[in-house]
Amino acid sequence: MIQLTNTLLALTLLSVLLSLGSDRLVSLIKIMTFQGIIVSLIPLTLLFQEHHGEIGAGNVLIFQAMLIIKGILIPWFLFMALKKVKMRREIEPIIGYHASTFAGLFFILMSTFIADRFFQIILNNEHVLLLITAITTLSAGLFLLISRKKAITQVIGYLMMENGIYLLGSTLAKQTHTQYVVEFGVLLDILVAIMIMGIVLHNINSTYDGMDTGDLDSLHDLDSNRSLFHRLKG
Amino acid sequence: MDTVFVSIFIILAGGTAALFLSSRFVLMQRIMVGATTLGSIAGLHFALTHLLDDGPVATATFAWLHIFDLSFTADSISLFFLLPIFLIPPLALIYSLHYFTDSKKNLRVAVNYFFTAVLIASMPLVVTASNMISFALSWEIMSIASFFLVLFDYQNEEKRKAGYLYLIFVQGGAMFLFAAFALIYRHTGSFDFSAVSSMPDSGKLLVFILALIGFGSKAGLFPLHIWMPSTYSAAPSHLPGIMSGVMAKMGIYGILRIYLLLDAPTSVFGNVVLICGILTGIFGVVYALVRQNIKELLAYSSMENIGIILIGLGIGMLGADEGNQAMAFFGFAGALLHLFNHSVFKSLLFMGAGAIEQQTGTNSIEDLGGLLKKMPVTGKTFLVGSTAISGLPPFAGFISEFLIYYGAFQGVDTHRLSFLLAIFAIISLAVIGGLATAVFTKVMGLTFLGAARTKKVEQAKEVKPSMQWVMILLASVCLFIGLVPAPFIHTAFAGLRDISFVSSYNAQSFLTVVQQISETTMLFVLLILALVMLRQFLYLNKRIRWAGTWGCGFTKPTVRMQYTGASYADDMVNFFKWLTPVTRLYSGITQIFPRRATWHMQSEDTALMNYERALVRPLYSLVYKLRWIQHGNIQLYISYIIVAVIILLVFFL
Repeated sequence: MIQLTNTLLALTLLSVLLSLGSDRLVSLIKIMTFQGIIVSLIPLTLLFQEHHGEIGAGNVLIFQAMLIIKGILIPWFLFMALKKVKMRREIEPIIGYHASTFAGLFFILMSTFIADRFFQIILNNEHVLLLITAITTLSAGLFLLISRKKAITQVIGYLMMENGIYLLGSTLAKQTHTQYVVEFGVLLDILVAIMIMGIVLHNINSTYDGMDTGDLDSLHDLDSNRSLFHRLKG
Repeated sequence: MDTVFVSIFIILAGGTAALFLSSRFVLMQRIMVGATTLGSIAGLHFALTHLLDDGPVATATFAWLHIFDLSFTADSISLFFLLPIFLIPPLALIYSLHYFTDSKKNLRVAVNYFFTAVLIASMPLVVTASNMISFALSWEIMSIASFFLVLFDYQNEEKRKAGYLYLIFVQGGAMFLFAAFALIYRHTGSFDFSAVSSMPDSGKLLVFILALIGFGSKAGLFPLHIWMPSTYSAAPSHLPGIMSGVMAKMGIYGILRIYLLLDAPTSVFGNVVLICGILTGIFGVVYALVRQNIKELLAYSSMENIGIILIGLGIGMLGADEGNQAMAFFGFAGALLHLFNHSVFKSLLFMGAGAIEQQTGTNSIEDLGGLLKKMPVTGKTFLVGSTAISGLPPFAGFISEFLIYYGAFQGVDTHRLSFLLAIFAIISLAVIGGLATAVFTKVMGLTFLGAARTKKVEQAKEVKPSMQWVMILLASVCLFIGLVPAPFIHTAFAGLRDISFVSSYNAQSFLTVVQQISETTMLFVLLILALVMLRQFLYLNKRIRWAGTWGCGFTKPTVRMQYTGASYADDMVNFFKWLTPVTRLYSGITQIFPRRATWHMQSEDTALMNYERALVRPLYSLVYKLRWIQHGNIQLYISYIIVAVIILLVFFL
């Protein structure tokens, strides 16, 4: 069983690297679907490993829900949003694709260092690989948020961060369904965020003629005539 | 305790029902008023029976979030504070039946009712909370609910600003409170109020000062009062009655409670409270004198009354510190009774101001005039309220101020600082009372007497019956307390039962004094009635001719030949100009046949000016230098988060 877990983890890492290097939005969403399914399977394998095949009904239910949301619902919403705005590629990323892939490799190294340095004592070497994957996924998600401009890639960044948080939760918790309440909450947030993003994307697209978040900074508050102080002064 | 929770539940249910019934305007109003009245009667019954029976202290505890306990205790002080909480709000809501008449604004009114219910429901929790968690929780609910009440006219920018200012002060005050609680927790390791007294004496003073600032910002202590005028004029008119009459008293409750909990190791507490009270009272009444807007003026007058209540508390604390039981007893009792009275006559006055605003569309006394003939009930009840708030017999204010004076005079035979402070308190009470009379003769005279200054005022009519009846009821309560003070004084005494160092004091001898006061005022009232009857009798069968007010023999008098608010107050303002800077703009008369001349007086709130000079401007220029951080680029914002996380990981893990 430990082999299976490690295989899944390796696949997750691969999907992270792939997503950092992909320039087509459709393939990016496909990779994320794959990653979502893999990530939601990992705790299940851990569960088998720890409880020797005896899983409660509550666990099955919550993992099923996870799988459905991550594997079906979220990709579906993302594809819908993509179809609506007729956008195919992420053009002009802030950090290029090759550099991003390289950064992904760097994240793996950094996560290994962090896992080795800080969590050695807590984990007794048991789930170190899991922890490395978790931190890598988390930081790669953050990296996507910083390095891409399109609103849809931002959402995917959040999604990847959520996957990371989920893995981190699996690492630190004993595998029972009550421990996944927090992760489940985060997942629901992401789900709602993606649904809203579908609407917002459409609006940004029609208002700004594109879905570049860079254009949104014309909404900010730096105009001195409209500052808080002037508003308070009347 | 269960009764209180049931009544809170009923009130909240009424508020929630209002949200769902917003499309049926009249039904919504009636359900809200009915539920609040029902709940309040239950609450009042609980408070009165427990206050007058010498029964055991009621408590209740609930577990919350597995870690915390929410516990509530109703000792005699809490019970006394429950009285205004359950007395004023239902009356204010009955008044709102005809005050909110625009059924197009139904959703807004529904939301307003909901938050009113939340506010009313949170206040009993504040006064009964017996640990810091439950206190902080109910305190915050109360503050937030009242903030939404101020935002009723959210489309009006002036009123929105008033709401924000209020929020800043309320939450700023809460921050100080939390700091005080955190200090207590650090020393005692317990959230329970009963553990507070076990903290070391060295920390107590700091805790008390922090709490005084926190509670003072709610009560309107000088210089934390600047939110009051704008807030009270922004909220719909029945609400300032609740906010000033009841909610501001929660600040007083907090000061009294924290004082009792800390078990006062030094006399500094009493001195600080007394001096704060004196400053608040005098500044409040002087500011009230220069204001021309009735609601703002009433707000400053609330500040003055908070000052009087604090003077009472301060005298009580001085007495407790000196071991002078009589002084402590009457100081505290006077403060409690004045607080109750103030909630009655202040809500009466705010309702009067609301009635005037509803009929004339303005609250500026420079535009009003001659309303007594057009709105007789409003005018007469406002007169009663004004007399009561000025502390004149035969109304409520006189009795409570008499108690405070009595307490202060008990302190005259002590020595040193306490003696000086007691004398000082007596003098300032006299100054405050005198000036308050001036303030309210100004309001009464210019608003209700004379002749109307604008067309709109000329056409004013009496308000609808539900508003009239509430005002009549409150005015008769004022008169009743003045005529038969004994039961009310007795109730205030009962409120002191659980304050350990005065509970043994026997006030029987004072009750005979009260009896004499009561008889004298009765005689006084009878005398007046007799004179009125005599006048009626003498005028019988005589021809009575009516002429314009302030006619003074002119052939063509105009309404502009009347005293104005500015000219009435001018002399007194001159005397106090070191407290409140006044600018006068006078165009002057130069020719023999003068053209139009203008004279304008404007006064600033010194506290407000100094806040702007010393706090807002430096803060703003500092913040402005950091504006580049907020550039609108979301990618960089996320980078900030990452940098922060990395710094935390590197330095703190």
